[in-house]
Amino acid sequence: MKLLFQLSIRNLCRNKRRNAMLLVAIAVAVAGVNATNTLLRGYQYDMLESAINNLTGHVKVMAEGYVDDPNVKHSFELSSEQLPQLPEGMVVGWADRLRIPAVIMSERETRGIELVGVDPAKEDISFIGEAEIEGEFLQGADDGRVLVGKELARQLQTSVGRRLVLIAQGADGLNRERGYRIAGTFDADGTGLEKNYVFVGLSSLQALLETQAITELSVRVDREEQRLPAKSALRAAFPELQVKDWRELDPQVAEMFKFADASLFIWFFLMMGALTFGLVNSLIAAVMERVKELGMMRALGMQNSTVLVQVVLESIILMTVGVVSGTCVSLLIYWSIADGIDLSAYAEGAEMVGVSSVLQPVLLSEDVFLVAIMSIILGILASFYPAWRVIKIRPLDALRR
Amino acid sequence: MTDPVVVCRGVSRTYQQESVPVHALSQVDFTVYPGEFVSLSGPSGSGKSTLLNIVGGLDRPDEGSVSVDGVDLGELSESKLAELRLHKLGFVFQAYNLIPVLSALENVEFIMQLQGVSPVERAERATAVLDRLGLADMLHRRPGELSGGQQQRVAVARAIVSEPVLLLADEPSANLDSSTTKDLLELLKQLNEEGMTIVTATHDTMVMSYALRQVHLRDGQIEHDDQVQSA
Ligand SMILES: Nc1ncnc2c1ncn2[C@@H]1O[C@H](COP(=O)(O)OP(=O)(O)O)[C@@H](O)[C@H]1O
Ligand SMILES: [Mg+2]
Repeated sequence: MKLLFQLSIRNLCRNKRRNAMLLVAIAVAVAGVNATNTLLRGYQYDMLESAINNLTGHVKVMAEGYVDDPNVKHSFELSSEQLPQLPEGMVVGWADRLRIPAVIMSERETRGIELVGVDPAKEDISFIGEAEIEGEFLQGADDGRVLVGKELARQLQTSVGRRLVLIAQGADGLNRERGYRIAGTFDADGTGLEKNYVFVGLSSLQALLETQAITELSVRVDREEQRLPAKSALRAAFPELQVKDWRELDPQVAEMFKFADASLFIWFFLMMGALTFGLVNSLIAAVMERVKELGMMRALGMQNSTVLVQVVLESIILMTVGVVSGTCVSLLIYWSIADGIDLSAYAEGAEMVGVSSVLQPVLLSEDVFLVAIMSIILGILASFYPAWRVIKIRPLDALRR
Repeated sequence: MTDPVVVCRGVSRTYQQESVPVHALSQVDFTVYPGEFVSLSGPSGSGKSTLLNIVGGLDRPDEGSVSVDGVDLGELSESKLAELRLHKLGFVFQAYNLIPVLSALENVEFIMQLQGVSPVERAERATAVLDRLGLADMLHRRPGELSGGQQQRVAVARAIVSEPVLLLADEPSANLDSSTTKDLLELLKQLNEEGMTIVTATHDTMVMSYALRQVHLRDGQIEHDDQVQSA
């Protein structure tokens, strides 16, 4: 094997120019695929992040019927202040909320919104915990002021410190009406959130609606893969309630998420397909130059399978060197853009669809590994045809050339 | 008498040249016994190489049977034929046909690697053979750095290193001048005296003169087959 390996290396050195060009092409393709992957992953994770931040969490517990009719009647009580036992170290945070449709009125305008009663201390798991606030954030669960989106404030033609009136249905089916002072306005990615959500202290809202209940329990786990175990643990803990994960709650984003996964593969096969074409041609040239020599070795008794091994070996060596250098280049590219690419120049459009204006590339070692492995597999496959081309020629005919 | 190394019976080989059949060999019977040094001679196109290639398992006859060392070649698959060539036959070709990117030593080792000989034994045997052929100082030179005569010696070393039952040489002197040819023939003679069976195809009278049996071909048939009294 050592001699075969040496032979392959030396054969590759025979045509330095051709192989160097091929190496550059492999490296560029691998670097390109990896760089694109980090951007696609960045976009995908951003999408996931906003879907989860969007008050969804990874997994959510709700009363039966709430999804179809989000109403205070479809609510439940959380008996203890403790989250039911979930696998150790999995849960990053959780929040109980009372979320109901409501009407909000300023002196000038009226809007339909979703009124969300929150415990501000628990909301570091959602976008509102990190949102930029003008004025003040809610001070506690019993804070009787509201937090409205910038866009909503603009539409209602109101501002921090002024009063708004909210009308919502209580547990008894009767409407409640109350005036609230605006504690602050929040800025979210995408005006959709700003128009839709109005936050108020949870206990304060419960008092208004004369209930102890909540409508949802949102749980955030550490990693996306923990979503399913967390879901089944919560199912076991709340057998009478509905437990859904973000993919079920936000099927559109879930589709987009899957599409991004598929794009990675499509892109890989496009780039690598073109490359493989070049590789096959180059290997054919390399073996055809040596057809006489290979014929002589076969005449001496070298098996056809050994010819194949030799061509495969050369291809693997080429690919490996190319992939390694390409991966190094892509790491350099990644580090140079690791702080994120500022898309604010095009952010007008981006904010509309709820994507943040800074694209943060995400480098997954699995992706890099997969690209490397698949490239090398492609390299092996690419050597079959050239090997077959020489094997097809009888040793005697090869010798006579 | 001992069993023959090569037995050809009624061997015919016809090539199609632009749809004209060319009878390279017709109904040839040819037997080689251990220890013989046979030259196949005859004019160009008389079928010398064809016979040698058929005996060497590189070509198959259209008619007739060939056996080498008791094995009927007609029954072997391509892969088994390659195995037989690897383990039982040694080849020396007209052009030296060494692997240009391997040194003299590696060229000789390569064949043993294919045979699955261990690295230590490989290096030992290759060095010993090259040493014996007067190439001790050339072990690490690549073919391009060797003269024609030296390259042909390396090719002989490669052919005999695994002690084949039969050494086949097709026009081994074609690219050599007369003094290197003489050296090569002395080497072959010496190998033959040590028991190596040799069949060589040649139209070089000097090569013929070293052979102990001269088989003369014409138009794909054996014209005469003479034992030469060794001096
Ligand atoms: N592969 C081939 N295809 C067609 N004709 C061939 C082939 N090999 C040999 N021949 C023909 O067969 C005849 C015998 O060839 P060969 O055995 O090489 O002769 P020699 O070695 O005695 O010069 C020649 O007429 C040659 O042209
Ligand atoms: Mg010939």
